[in-house]
Parts: sequence; C-alpha cells; structure tokens
Amino acid sequence: MLETFTEVMRQRLSRPLQYFMDICIRCGLCADACHFYADSRDLAHIPAYRALLVKKLLQSKGNPLLDWYRENHWPDERTVEELRKALWDCTGCRRCTLICPFHLDTGLLVSTARYALLQEGLGMNMVAEIGKAEVSKGEIIDALKEFYVGQIQELEGRLRQEWGIPDLRIPVDEPARVLYVPVVGEHAIIPLAKIFYAAKESWTLSLFTATNHSFFVGDMEKAKKAAHWIVQEARRLGAQVIAYAECGHATRTLLNFWDHWFGDEIAGIQRVSVVQLVASYLQEGRIRVREGAFDVPMTYHDPCNLGRNAGIFEEPRMLIRAVATDFRELTPNRELNWCCGGGGGLIAEPEMFEVRMKAGRKKVEQIQRTGAKWVVTACENCKTQLSDLNERYGLGVEIKGVVDLIADALVL
Amino acid sequence: MSTLAFLFYYVTPYIAVAVFFGGLAYRVYRWWRAKPVAAHLSLYPRPHRRWGAFMEMLIETVTLKMVFNAIKISGSALPITAGLALHGALFLALAHHLPVFFHLPALRSSAIWAAFGTLMGLTFGALLLYALAHRMEGRRKHLSVPQDYLALLLLIGIVVTGLHIRLLHTLDAQELPRFFLGLATFHWQPVPQSAGPAFIWHFAFVQLLMVYFPFSKFSHMVGYPLAKMVAYS
Repeated sequence: MLETFTEVMRQRLSRPLQYFMDICIRCGLCADACHFYADSRDLAHIPAYRALLVKKLLQSKGNPLLDWYRENHWPDERTVEELRKALWDCTGCRRCTLICPFHLDTGLLVSTARYALLQEGLGMNMVAEIGKAEVSKGEIIDALKEFYVGQIQELEGRLRQEWGIPDLRIPVDEPARVLYVPVVGEHAIIPLAKIFYAAKESWTLSLFTATNHSFFVGDMEKAKKAAHWIVQEARRLGAQVIAYAECGHATRTLLNFWDHWFGDEIAGIQRVSVVQLVASYLQEGRIRVREGAFDVPMTYHDPCNLGRNAGIFEEPRMLIRAVATDFRELTPNRELNWCCGGGGGLIAEPEMFEVRMKAGRKKVEQIQRTGAKWVVTACENCKTQLSDLNERYGLGVEIKGVVDLIADALVL
Repeated sequence: MSTLAFLFYYVTPYIAVAVFFGGLAYRVYRWWRAKPVAAHLSLYPRPHRRWGAFMEMLIETVTLKMVFNAIKISGSALPITAGLALHGALFLALAHHLPVFFHLPALRSSAIWAAFGTLMGLTFGALLLYALAHRMEGRRKHLSVPQDYLALLLLIGIVVTGLHIRLLHTLDAQELPRFFLGLATFHWQPVPQSAGPAFIWHFAFVQLLMVYFPFSKFSHMVGYPLAKMVAYS
C-alpha cells in the first residue's frame, strides 16, 4: 500500500525536505500557526504531524525494535485517510514555516507529496486536469486566438461606450512594453484597461492566463511548461515588463521560481505583480486618483503568496491609502496574516467547499474585529474564498481588488 | 582492571567522540548532497543579502531570530521561553564542566562555582521534566513518538547522575583533568575515584548520548544554524 507514493517521494526528496525529515523535533509550535488546525483540532492538520506521516512512510520497516522506536507500522486504510487529509487540507500558506524555529517548509512538503499522492491516484483530479489544460493550451493557441480577440473587441466596444472613452484600446497579442497576463474573466481586464489608458502605457493583453494549477499539485515540470508559453509570448512581442494579474500563486511563481526555471531566457524582462506596476504609476505621477474617494471603513487582506511568500506588503497599502479615508489593518497582518483558507488549489475542487469554509473561520474573526465594510485583497483565490465566507457567515462586507479601487477612483 | 572496564574507560570514549563528529558531518553531507529546489524558498520580509547568506546565518543564529519569531506568532510564550532556558541551562551546565577537563584548581575549590553548577544542573533537570510533561499533554502527546521520550529520558539520566556526583562527592582537583587530558593525549591515567560510583553511569550515559546524537533529533544542533542556508538553496 502506498508503494508508488513512497517511491516517488524518495526520488523527489530535495534538500529542504531531507533536512525537514531529519530536523523536526515535533515541538508542535506549528499547530498554533495553522488555520486548519485552529478550527478542526485534528491531528492530521498539525504541520509537524503531516511531516511525521510522510517520514514514517519513507522509513524502512520490519525491524521490531526500530518500528517501536519510530512508532512505525505498515500503512493501512487509516494511513491513507490521514495522508489525504494532511496533504489536501492545506493551502500552502507557509505560516507554519514562519513560526518554525528551523524554518521547515510544510508548503514544500505538501507540494512534493501531493504530486506523489497523485501518482497513487489519490489526488485532487480537477486541479490536476486544469493544470494539464493550461499546458496544452499553448499548442492550440492559434485556433483559440480568433475567438478570444473577438470577445475582447466586444468588451472594448462596450467599455468605450460605458466610460465615454472613444480611443480606449485593449490590445491583444501586439508588440508592447508591458505584457499583462490576466486571470480568467473580464473582471481581471476591465480595471486594467482603464488604468493602462490613464497611464498612457504601451501594453498588450496576453493570450494566456496567469493561473498555474500544476503548481498546486506540485507538478513543477508541467507548471514550468505552462509558464513557458508566456515567456515565449513576451519574447515574441518584445515585452520589457511582464505584469501578472492579482493572483497569488502565479505571482509567487513569477517572482520566485522563474529565475530558476528560465534563467537567461528571461534576462532583461522585468517581472512584477500588477499591483506593483500600478503603485509605480501612482508614485511617478503617471496616474492620478481622487484622494479619499471612498469614505468606507476598509481593510486589506495580505494574500499569503503575495505577502510572506513574495514580499509585496507596502504597494497595495500605498494604493489603498491613496483612495481610502478609513483604512484599518487586520490583526495580525503582513507576514503574520492568517490565510483565508482558499489557497493551494482548494477553490477549484468543489468537494473541498466545506473544508474551506471551516479553514476560513480565523479570517472571519479577523475581519469582524476590524468592523470594515470593504475587504480589499490582491489575489483571485482570496477574493473567491472571502466572497464565499462573506455569504456563509453573513459578514455583510464587499470584497474588492486593489486595482478595482484605483480604477474606480481614477482621474482621467 | 577487567577487560570490560578497560574498554569502557579507554576505548569506547574514542569511538563515541568519533561517531559524534563523524555522524554530524555525515548529516550535513547528506543535506549538502540532496538536490536543491529550483526556487527562492525563503520567506519575506527577506533581509538584504549584502553580506551573503552565510553572514545572515551567523547573525540569525546568534540573535535567535527564528525563535523570537515563533514567540511572536504563538499565543503562549511559556513553552518557547522554557525551551530557550533549557538550552541556556544546558550550555551553562556544560561550561561548569571546565575544571573536569582542564587543570583549574581555583575554580574547582570555589564555592560559588560549585553552587553555580548545582543551580544549572537543577534548572536543566527541572526544565527537562517540564519538557517531558509538556510532551505528554494535549496534542503533543499524539504528535510524539517513542524516540522523543527516549531523548528526554537520556538527558534526565545524565542530569541525575551528574547531580549525584555534584552534591554527594567532593572531586579531587587533579584527578579528573588528569584522566581526561590523558585520554585526549593518549597518555592514559588511572580511573578517577573521587567522583564515586555514579561516575560510571554519568560517563556511560554521555558516551551513549554522543553515539546517539547524530542519528536522532539531537542533530538539530547542527541543523539550526543551517536552516536559512537550506531555505536559500
């Protein structure tokens, strides 16, 4: 039982994981950091226990004395159940890594072990399938292009009328300075169309989306392939800047994985989150906003993958402060912020809905304590999760993106 | 002297020392050999790497940054503070052993030095008992495997035998350093008598610990300073 899992795990045991397996002293501090454990008090949700489960599977068995010493046994149905819970009920937020005195990376462990579990057929298949589709999209992009461009033109026409801007453009796949990579849905395009117009930016819309579901299931080969389409597109269009939409995991891959994935291929191309790009427009005076445009108490939720995993803390705050009269911080915030409970691909898996709702209770408490009416964030996953939490727990708040605020307060 | 006693006093100590250092080196070698992850994995805010990851590692080890981080996030500071104190008492109790290995008659005869040793031994012992109780309570009970308890019991054994020597025997100022310096220089000296029979147990537990050390959770000693290096790789 679980032979494939063990075999794949052994092959993929990287340096930080080898270190993890050797070093974890099971002090249990990480439990305090986990929003899953905070609600469920389930052993399988303690990060150190997640690691112990994997470690037990990796250890040799059969020697009675050693088996007692390590509390080892041959895996059974219960092991499988615990393993599923330990590896899929995780958003990879890495708050536990922050609390760990040894910096042990449960996010990495879960990512690697999810891949191994998928090979065993015990996976989140929906997420893996979307990941595969993102890889193969590049092969059929020429066939999709015409339809996509048509849709965007339609949107362009609509926005021109709506905003009364006859020269508004949404360029697709054209040579430009900035390649903007959205997420699925026009809500990721509309505010940027306005902001880029106001900043007089030379920009173009990518044919691809930033989301990279293979990353959630630890399939880095596929994640790299999916991202490579965007690298090729940027080079073909001569883009100097690749800006990713408000999307947590994709921004993290862009900022922290691309150097290792693509090396020289992306030399000279600046990579930013669109939040950083818009913040630079405001700082350089390329766009102007109505100061204090929104007289509503609002708070900012630091997405794990933008905050503690990619270091984008101040830019969104700068943007929000520019248009808000009453900005309130969540407690704790920045790198210590609680995960909303929607990351790690859980959003894409319908059967994980209830799990998500429980994992979000910490977030609900946090939001309620601020008394904010608007919850602003910069990650698609967080937005969906926060909206679901809002509905489930009757928070009575509105969920907004950082760029939405700026677009709505623009002085054209 | 029986063959067994001879082995115990004059042969196994060398093996213990060799396994201790060799084992720890092997640990580090295993981490070094494992393939790094193709990504930046460290968390933010990330300090500037102006002096390189190595300097950062030294600074973070000295300032215990990650431990204080843990206190900041965890609601309860007591277990972490106790853990820090446990390590502090351990190092000070070890420092108290200086006159055992070197000829320092002034320290050996000092009443303050003796009281300091007793205090550190008792503190370390008390904190070990706290750690044991802490481990048997609540969620940590289910998180623990037998090796976690064994490690604590081994340390408690060393503390109890050590305190036994400390409190019930007056050590000869020359005898112990002569014996240990003799071991170190391969000029073997007679087995010390002034420490009484508990010395055998104390010495045995320590040798056992040294052999066990690199192959157990104790290896976190060499792991802690390397934590950031591993994350950066």
